[in-house]
Order: sequence, then C-alpha cells, then structure tokens
Amino acid sequence: MTESLFYFLASLTLLCALMVVISRNPVHSVLFLIITFFTISGHYILLNAQFLAAVNIIVYAGAIMVLFLFVIMFLNMNKDSESRVKTSTLSKFAGTIAGGLLFVIMVAAVKDTTIAGYNADTFTSQTGMVETLGAVLFTQYLLPFELASVLFLVAMVGAVMLGKKEAGEQHF
Amino acid sequence: MEPAVNQQYVPSDYLPILIQFLAALGFVVTTLIVTHLIGPKRKSAVKDAPWESGIESVGDARTPISYKYFMTAILFVLFDVEVIFMYPWAVNFRSFGLDGFLQMVLFMGLLLAGFFYVLKKGILKWD
Amino acid sequence: MTSIILLSIFGIINLFVGFMKSKRILLPLSLLFLAVVFGANLFSWNEAQSYFNHMLTIDNYAVAFTGIMVLATLLLLPFSQHYIEEANENLAEFYSLLLFSLVGAIMMVSYENMLMLFIGIEILSIAMYVLAGSDKRRLRSNEAALKYFLMGAFFTGVLLFGIVLIYGATGSFYLTDIAATAAVNDGTVNAMFTLGLLLLVIGISFKISAAPFHFWAPDVYEGTPTLFTSYMSTVVKIAGVAAFYKLMAAAFAASYAAWFPTLIAITVLTLVVGNIGAVVQTNFKRMLAYSSVSHAGYLLMALVAFNERSDASILFYSLSYALATIVAFAVLQYVSEQRNGDETYAAFNGLGKTNPLLAFAMTVAMCSLSGIPLTAGFFGKLFVFTAVVQDARLMWLVVVAVLMAAVGIYYYFKVVIAMYMQPAADAAKIRIGSFASFMLIFITVFTILLGIAPALVSDLL
Repeated sequence: MTESLFYFLASLTLLCALMVVISRNPVHSVLFLIITFFTISGHYILLNAQFLAAVNIIVYAGAIMVLFLFVIMFLNMNKDSESRVKTSTLSKFAGTIAGGLLFVIMVAAVKDTTIAGYNADTFTSQTGMVETLGAVLFTQYLLPFELASVLFLVAMVGAVMLGKKEAGEQHF
Repeated sequence: MEPAVNQQYVPSDYLPILIQFLAALGFVVTTLIVTHLIGPKRKSAVKDAPWESGIESVGDARTPISYKYFMTAILFVLFDVEVIFMYPWAVNFRSFGLDGFLQMVLFMGLLLAGFFYVLKKGILKWD
Repeated sequence: MTSIILLSIFGIINLFVGFMKSKRILLPLSLLFLAVVFGANLFSWNEAQSYFNHMLTIDNYAVAFTGIMVLATLLLLPFSQHYIEEANENLAEFYSLLLFSLVGAIMMVSYENMLMLFIGIEILSIAMYVLAGSDKRRLRSNEAALKYFLMGAFFTGVLLFGIVLIYGATGSFYLTDIAATAAVNDGTVNAMFTLGLLLLVIGISFKISAAPFHFWAPDVYEGTPTLFTSYMSTVVKIAGVAAFYKLMAAAFAASYAAWFPTLIAITVLTLVVGNIGAVVQTNFKRMLAYSSVSHAGYLLMALVAFNERSDASILFYSLSYALATIVAFAVLQYVSEQRNGDETYAAFNGLGKTNPLLAFAMTVAMCSLSGIPLTAGFFGKLFVFTAVVQDARLMWLVVVAVLMAAVGIYYYFKVVIAMYMQPAADAAKIRIGSFASFMLIFITVFTILLGIAPALVSDLL
C-alpha cells in the first residue's frame, strides 16, 4: 500500500515538476509548482515528517508562491513579449546533452549504490516529529539556527534597499 | 496531569484527513461538472465579456502594480519563516528551560532589529 | 567566534546609525568596527577551539583567513568616499551588508559542519546579489544582479545536492565523520559519494569563478559598482578558496584520487581561459574579471598540489592578490568617474603625468598581479609553484602556469603603457581625497614590503 502510494506520488511529482518547465504560460507553471509542493509534502508524510510537510505547504505553497505570482504580474508579460523570447538551437542541444549526461551519471550512481536501509532495533518512527526536531534544532544545531537570523536580516535589508522608492522616483 | 494521548504518530493517522480532503474535492468537482451538464449553454461575444452588462473593459489586466504590495509580501515571507521556527521551540519549551528561552530571545532580537529598521525606513507606510 | 558575534552586532548598529542626519560618521565608524574585529580575531591565535557541538572550529587557519578578509574589507572601504560625497541614501545599508557578508565569509573558513558551510555561502552570496544591483538606475547593475542571482541560486542548488548525496553516503554533515567514513572505504564509499563530491566541487568552483563555471564573472563584474566588484573579487574569492581547501583537507583527503583528475582539469582550464580571455578585452574592468578567473586558477594549483605547503601558499597568494586587486579597482574607480564612466584602457592615457601617485600605485599593483619580483605577487606565485613541484609528476602544470603568467604580463602592462606612454586625452588632474591617497600609499608600501620580506606572512601557517 505504502509502496504503491510512493510510486504514485513520485510519478505525480516528476510529472508536475516537468510541466513547470514545459508550460508556456508562467501562471500555469506556478500552478504546477504548487501541485509539486503538495506532492512533496505527501512524501514528507510518508516519511512520517509531519512538521516538515506542514511547513512546506505554509511557506512554499502559501507564501513563496504568492511572491512568484507577484513577480509574474510585475513582468507584464503578454502575447508579443512571449514570442520574442527564443532559445537558440545550439543552447537547446547543449542543454539536452548536459542534462542527459547528468541524468545518466545519476542513474548509474544510484544503481551502483546499496542503500544501507534501517536498523530495526534502533529505529523509531517518531524521528520526524516536531518535538524531536525541536530538540535537535535547539541543541545540536543551535549555532546554524541563530546565524540563520543573520541570513534573514541580510535578506530583509537587501529587499528594503532594492525595493525602496528613492527620492524623486516615480512609482504607482 | 498530562492528558493521555497517542504519542506514536504514523502516516496512516492521516487517513481521516485524506478522506475528508477527497470528500471536499469530490464535492467541488462534482458540482462543477453537474452544473455544466444540466445548465443551458449560450455563447456570444457579449455573454463572454469579463463584465457582462457592466463597464466595458479596456486594455490589459497586466498593468504594473505598486511595489508596496511586493515589499509587504516579501517581508511577510521572512517573518513567516521566522514564526515557523517557533513551533519546534514551543513544543519543547518546558524541557529547554531558561536557556532555550534566551536562545529564542536572541534569534527574535536580531529579527526585531530588522523589523524596527523596516518600520523606520517607512516601508510599511501606505500614504 | 568573537568576530562573528561582533560583526553581527556592528552590522545592526550601522543600520540604525544610518538614520542619523549626517552620514559622514558611517565610514569612520565602520572602519573602527572592522579594526576592532581584526584585533579581536587575533586573540584566538594559537588557541584553537571548537564551538557549539563542533559546528565551528577557530584554529590558526581560520584566524589567518579571517584576518586577511577583514583586512581587505578595511582597506577597500575608504574608496567608498564618492558615495558619501553624493550623499547616497543607502550608505548605511552598504556598510551593514558588507559587515554581515563578512559573517558568512568567516563561517566559510571555520566551518566543521556542511550546514555551516551552506549558511555561510548563503549569507555571503545574498549580500553580494544585493550589492551587485545596488546602483539601481544603471541597467548594467540590474543585469549584473539578476545574472549573478539566477546563476548563483542554481549553483547553490548544485552544491546543496552534493551535500545531500554525501550525507546519504556517509550519514553525517561533519567533516571529520565524512573523512572517517571515507578513510575506511578506500576514499570512495560508493558511487553516490563520488557524485556528491563532484557536485560539491562544481558548486564551489562556481563561487570562486573557476572555468568552466566562470561565464558569469565578466558580465557581473562589469555591471557591479566598482567598490563591490573589488569586494567580490577579493573577499568572496578568498573565502571560497579557503572553504574549498578546508573541505578537501578535512573531509576528502582520503578521496584524493577521486577528485584530483576533475580538479586538475578545472585548474588548467581556469588558467588558460582566464589568461587568454583577458588578452582580448578592451575594457579594463572586464580584463580584471578575467584576471580574477586566472588568479582562481593559481590558487587552485596550490589546492591541487595538496601537501603541507598548500595552506600557507594559498594564504600568501590570497593576501598579495587582494592587495593588488583593491588598488586596481580603486584607481579604476577614480579614473572612470573622472572620464564619464569610461572603463577602457584609453581612459588611463596620460595618467602618469596628471596623477603620478595613482599611476605609480597602479603600476605596482599590476606588477604584483603579474608576478614581477620585488612585489608580493612574485612570492605568491613562487610559493604556489614550489608547493606544486613537490610532486614531480605535476611539473607540466607549473610550465603551463608560467606560460600563462607570461601572457598575464602582456595584458597587465597594457594599462601601464597607456598611463606612461600615451598622451593624455583629458589633462585634468583627478581629485582624490587625502585619506584615500594615504590608503593607496599604504597598500603599495605593504605590497612592496611583502615582496622584500615575504616571511612576514608566509611562515604563519
């Protein structure tokens, strides 16, 4: 049951992720991306990481997608501007070859690797729970957590600096 | 006295939620399809206009919008992520004790500094 | 650890000082902060300590590279004078972002855990994306920011994928655990490990603009405001190379055979592409971009040699390269401001007559970059080459590098010829503040001093 669910979710994820790239309409891309996030959350639930599943939906599908849509609205894309963007055949070839090579190497690497699996004695199904996560985050990974606030600060200052209206600038 | 709850969560606990989700989705999809099937269909240029019997629409809907929406949205995302970090902290609040509290104060302090900076810059002002 | 804490606090203070009416205090204040951090950093010398469950280790390697990066920032900040004169609204943000990005850079030279490496790279990169686009009204600056951001985000993804695969193969983010797992498994645990290693190498190679992942560098360097280009090609590059060496030495020493062929190919390609690319440029700033690619190649040579001399030679080379690059960008900034944004070689025509100081500083910097004796750059190259020839099989690499250094002399001296041999098109003397000229003299003297007595720095590690 779980295995077939996994294969269903995995193929759905891959399909939607592909559609994000393939769709011509940027809004469709965003919608497919949202489905992708939901299916990835499904994967998290299968791994019994419920907190991550919820966070993934709240932050990515909820907040970041809104930003994506904002950007698309900003871009003011219409029929004429879409037709002007042309990828040269050469770069298409190069992209296909490079991507294909990476794909082949990945498949080969995964085929060669024996995944260790899990130890039934030490296995606990509660590893992904929010309590366990919090306990690890605030003890072992305390420093990266605190420094993440510097990262947020940089992002905040950067966004304000780039986005703020300068004196004398005309905006809507 | 701690309430007796099931501490061993497994993915199959989500089955009721999944069923509810499917029921909600099923209702929406069924209604949409059925209304299409049983309703009469009339198509004309006037009928398909965005505002039927309203103001005639002019131009493109994709006009540039104020950067202020964007600034608000991007700041929302940042603080959203920040709040997410508080969940794993809150459920362990008792066991962390004072240390855990101070750690969160430091984290929040840095972000609050950023928040005051944003306020003083007047980014959230909507004149 | 003290430097990280101090820099975070100082960055925030700077942000709020920016709300004061007069912005004149910002520059002295930032310089003071950096001097304090530089001093505080030295206290950790010879007192290696590990912090927060071995997330960070401040050892001599970390202290030395932190020192160089803080010093480089300290030396290039005085050339931000023009922002003060035009009363730029975002001055406080510029300085704060530089201070914050140093936090990331320090994390990159002292990490013990892959997570710290990742967050460090992110802090540094995000600040740089913003600073690249800080000249909002110039289209080139916008283009630079967007290009850098898109490429950078993509390669951060590659890096992250590498970290994940390594984690999958070894079950740990800690460098020591990875090294332990690799050591008992002949250096290559399994194919997943090798692939992860490859992706890590690609990700970091992008950050230090090593060929074939250098294609963003010329456009981004050209579009970014000169002050931040200077920061990008010194601090960011040094942090990247130091992180690279630390990664290889601490986690993948046993896997030498696995990454050596890839890295030597990258090194040779970087040397060739950087130097040949620089020859054909007419724009001085683009030339410096290619030159920074080529210097990444020399730094990678020391990494490829991978012996006990590697870290010391990377350290010395980084310092000599940073000093010369700061001068080159500073003079370029003054010249192009005077000549209406002209950044070609022709803008330097006759500089030797109008501004002997600028021309002399530039000449010393160019000599140092090309590795002429009596400058720091000569010993930088010498140390790298001696590190490489320890391994007799790598003799050919030194030959290639010497050939490329000869090519380097050609394009570095183009600007010297323009300054002294060409008649001045615009005879006006370039105005330069007394503090900035003092800084130029200081860096030039420092460069020559290191060229005479390299032991001041070369014996540190």
